[in-house]
Amino acid sequence: MSSRDHILNRINANKPELLTLPNIDASIFDAGLNVMAEFIKKVEVVGGNVLETTSNDAVISKVETIFPDAQIKYSTIAGTEAFNTLDLTTIKKSQDLEDLDILIIESDLAVAENGAVWVSDKQLPLRVLPFITKHLVLVVSKENVVPYMHQAYEKLSDTSGFGVFIAGPSKTADIEQSLVIGAHGALSLTIFVK
Amino acid sequence: MSHSQLASIFNKDEKKVDWHDKALWFVRHKRDKSVHEVKNWEELRNLGHGIKAHMLSNLDVYLKEFEANANKNGVEVHWAANAEEHNQIVLKILQENNAKKIVKSKSMLTEECHLNPYLEAEGLEVIDTDLGERIVQLAKEPPSHIVLPAIHKNRHEVDELFQEHLGTKPCDGDPQYLTGEARKHLRQKFIEADAALTGVNFAIAETGGFVVCTNEGNADMGAHLAPVHIACMGVEKIIPRQEHLGVFLRLLARSATGQPVTTYSSHFKKPADGKKMHIIIVDNGRSEQLSRPDFRASLHCIRCGACMNTCPIYRRSGGHSYDATIPGPIGSILSPGKDLKQYSTLPFASTLCGSCSDVCPVKIDIHAQLYKWRQIITKETPQPFIKKKSMEIMGSIFAKPSQFETVGKIARWSLRSLPKSMINSKPNAWGKARDLPLGPKESFDDWYKNREANKTKND
Repeated sequence: MSSRDHILNRINANKPELLTLPNIDASIFDAGLNVMAEFIKKVEVVGGNVLETTSNDAVISKVETIFPDAQIKYSTIAGTEAFNTLDLTTIKKSQDLEDLDILIIESDLAVAENGAVWVSDKQLPLRVLPFITKHLVLVVSKENVVPYMHQAYEKLSDTSGFGVFIAGPSKTADIEQSLVIGAHGALSLTIFVK
Repeated sequence: MSHSQLASIFNKDEKKVDWHDKALWFVRHKRDKSVHEVKNWEELRNLGHGIKAHMLSNLDVYLKEFEANANKNGVEVHWAANAEEHNQIVLKILQENNAKKIVKSKSMLTEECHLNPYLEAEGLEVIDTDLGERIVQLAKEPPSHIVLPAIHKNRHEVDELFQEHLGTKPCDGDPQYLTGEARKHLRQKFIEADAALTGVNFAIAETGGFVVCTNEGNADMGAHLAPVHIACMGVEKIIPRQEHLGVFLRLLARSATGQPVTTYSSHFKKPADGKKMHIIIVDNGRSEQLSRPDFRASLHCIRCGACMNTCPIYRRSGGHSYDATIPGPIGSILSPGKDLKQYSTLPFASTLCGSCSDVCPVKIDIHAQLYKWRQIITKETPQPFIKKKSMEIMGSIFAKPSQFETVGKIARWSLRSLPKSMINSKPNAWGKARDLPLGPKESFDDWYKNREANKTKND
């Protein structure tokens, strides 16, 4: 017998009688959040910054003042092509993105209770982009911020081939529990809300 | 060695024990603050428990559903009955892809299977990329905690390790500098890697996708750069539907570190163009644990580590004292199911205070299971003579109230009257490193009777 069948047979023989699957009633977790205030608070808790903006152009000019020394820059948001110093079509392998300083991506889903922003294959020409960049900038519209993870998954019927909730810059506390921002992923996260 | 023998090694450095104890209690405290912000947290735990219990009762069906969907997504699924087969499958995939350099993100399962030494013996380079895991890998030690692998090391030890292995400058243990150097060192490893190995936090039957949670971004750096991604999971990582992630991702990080969610919750479903994705589903004793009604709930575990952070024994004995891949209270109910004799002392490494069960995000009755293992172990494995005899004596004393009263009188008198040198003499383990309280003049029984008598008088 293959290991597959062996494992499945044993589980079938050893499992208890079928128990019912509980239903999730998301309304019982609803504490009546002020969604935007909570989102901003939680992004700060997880180590990110939130800025308000009105247009994509305003995002670009603000990013240029925050990171004046950035050399290699890439943005996927509409109408900001002039910002890019990188042509992804010339990138043969993801490893060549190692020196990327700034990446700007627009997201269509964020969560207030934990400051997480969803980014997926839908927005990412290459999956490694939001991890390999030194500084990550995410843009999200107010109406796309949901209160809890339950509502986020109601919207996420399709997670596409790859998708990730990003909450703050990468971090670690593995040396004596001291929090250090900037482990393997982005060193900073700035979120523009429009 | 028994848990208590290994614990006494850790206990030699009292200052370190104090630090370890306080650091973990601080994490427990952060957990409390974070969960108190969640409305109906207890209901969320009930859901976590209920979904996992249902999953186990229908596990074979969900595993097949998961496999079919993963295949549809272009992911290759493998099955391993035990650790050896798991390691062989990993090696075979690596060889087929001519992979020599492997980066790994945290996976307790690969620790359980002792994958690293197996691959290294085949001449492959395996680099753990979680900072804590890299630290213990350089120190040639196993992790001592499932979320904080290097919690037993202080910053100066890390400083020395990095000087020796990474050529860093002496920095008086500056975490910022050391983390920065580790980032540079591991960035190179990510860039060069031929294959990436990750664990799995949740595997979704409905979609065939799986979720990996990290704070450092190491799982993603590995998986998206290397041409091959191998994800290893125990059979119990399955959840039926994607919406259940809403429950478990709310529970996991808050219970683990007090964060509202981990920095990255990465949802892998299909390999990127031109890349390969493999999933290895591992049993290694899990289906046997499923057969034990008293202990099957231990398979609900989502590996948050909250039971370790809160455990008064774990905090003071350190993770290595358990000598098992998963230490702490949850490890003490999982390990005896694998080898009752080898792990026979672990269920006794507990005060049965129940704090572990109180913080468990999926409501595993950990302390009740510890007690049940004790019943089995005392019957099935030989117990030390003194313990056996003293239990028999205590049993007979407790069975007869008049005898109990006499012994109580003598004990109270002794604690009041005998010199400390006698009370704390060697045979009394309770007198080690602590003074016993002064014996009260009356027993609770006497006190109660007097109180009742006074009551009637006053009436």
